[in-house]
Amino acid sequence: MAGSSEHAVAAGETHATTEAHGSGGLPQFEFQHWGGQIAWLLVLFVILYVLVSRVFAPRIRGVIDERASTIAGALEAARRVQAEAADQTRAAQADLAEARAASHRVAAEAKAAAAAKTAARQAEEGAKLAERMAEAETRIRASRDAAMSQVSGIAAETAAAIIEKLTGAAAPAKDVDAAVAAAQGAAH
Amino acid sequence: MADPLHQFQIQKLVELPDVTVPGLGLVDLAITNSHVAMTLAFAVIVGFLALVTARPQVVPGRLQSVGEQLFGLIDNLTESIIGHEGRHYFPFVFTVFTLVLAMNFLGLFLVFTATSQIAVTATFGALTIGVVLVIGFAKHGLGFFKLFVPSGVPWVLLPVIVLIEFVSFLLRPVTLTLRLFGNMMGGHVALKVFAGFVAVAAVGGLGWLGVPVAIMSFGMVTALTALEFLVAFLQAFVFAVLTCIYLNDVVNLGHGH
Repeated sequence: MAGSSEHAVAAGETHATTEAHGSGGLPQFEFQHWGGQIAWLLVLFVILYVLVSRVFAPRIRGVIDERASTIAGALEAARRVQAEAADQTRAAQADLAEARAASHRVAAEAKAAAAAKTAARQAEEGAKLAERMAEAETRIRASRDAAMSQVSGIAAETAAAIIEKLTGAAAPAKDVDAAVAAAQGAAH
Repeated sequence: MADPLHQFQIQKLVELPDVTVPGLGLVDLAITNSHVAMTLAFAVIVGFLALVTARPQVVPGRLQSVGEQLFGLIDNLTESIIGHEGRHYFPFVFTVFTLVLAMNFLGLFLVFTATSQIAVTATFGALTIGVVLVIGFAKHGLGFFKLFVPSGVPWVLLPVIVLIEFVSFLLRPVTLTLRLFGNMMGGHVALKVFAGFVAVAAVGGLGWLGVPVAIMSFGMVTALTALEFLVAFLQAFVFAVLTCIYLNDVVNLGHGH
């Protein structure tokens, strides 16, 4: 049976105690063994207490605190970097807006300059054309006046010739001229 | 069938002379299996903690993580129950917890369970209450007795309440002792009984009936072993929790009640 060999080994040393537990009591209540166990447990307890409180707990607490501070430091650094990046983004956006405004301004200026140039050119061309037209008109008027001044000579000659044919006598040139001038004035 | 109580027998391994301690009487200094079990538990704890804290790293390895979990378990316990002063009492609670835990667990691997000895559990119980008493009187002097007088109780009921509180305080070391002792002993007796059935069946003591008996008993032993691992941890944890609660009673005496 299991444990019977243990029995045999232990039988010699624990004869007195096996009798006690054979009589129905628990082996735990054999009080002659209490003193040694209690004393030894107290010794072990005190040693372990001193070791824990002086060595092990400070070491573990130290590394846990160190980890906490490391994490806090890393978080702090990350937050700082993030803020920096946000600042840079804001600055870049401001730069961009400024550049956009500048380019708009330059474009408007260029447009205005081009428009002014075009207008000036147009005005110049217009003036040139107007001058040429005026010149042409004066020339036309001069040639018309010349033509008109020859018209009275022709009319006087024609009138003298008609008078000669009708009356057979030549009319005085002075009267003819006066009549032509009067007719011309009436026609005008 | 093997005697299921035999496993609790104290056996002397090395005889040493008896000494007479005044007040205690005759004390046998012999080294017994109980001494060996306690010392082994102690050695396992010290070895484990030494390994864990040998080269502590900010990014912990596996072993260090386990050690820190164990540390954090008790640290949170003392911090949450006792409050910000809990840190002072951490080493005591941690020592109690690890010793009980190691003795419970070694009992499941070896042949002797130190915490199934009432002498051992009584020492833990008395030690805890002793520390509670020392701290109580050191911090509050005679004000310690306010522990038995809850505030806001009508004066008519006061004598009864004080009596109840006093008796319950006296019973604290007893319940601490017997809870741990009973759990460990009961579990090991049950294991031994069912294992005994298997052994009896195996040698043919029950004939053909032995086959189902052995199978069922073996299943029982397996299940009970798993349960005993849980109990081993739980009882150590319960002991630590109660230690914290009793410490809290005297550390924060008068406020927080």
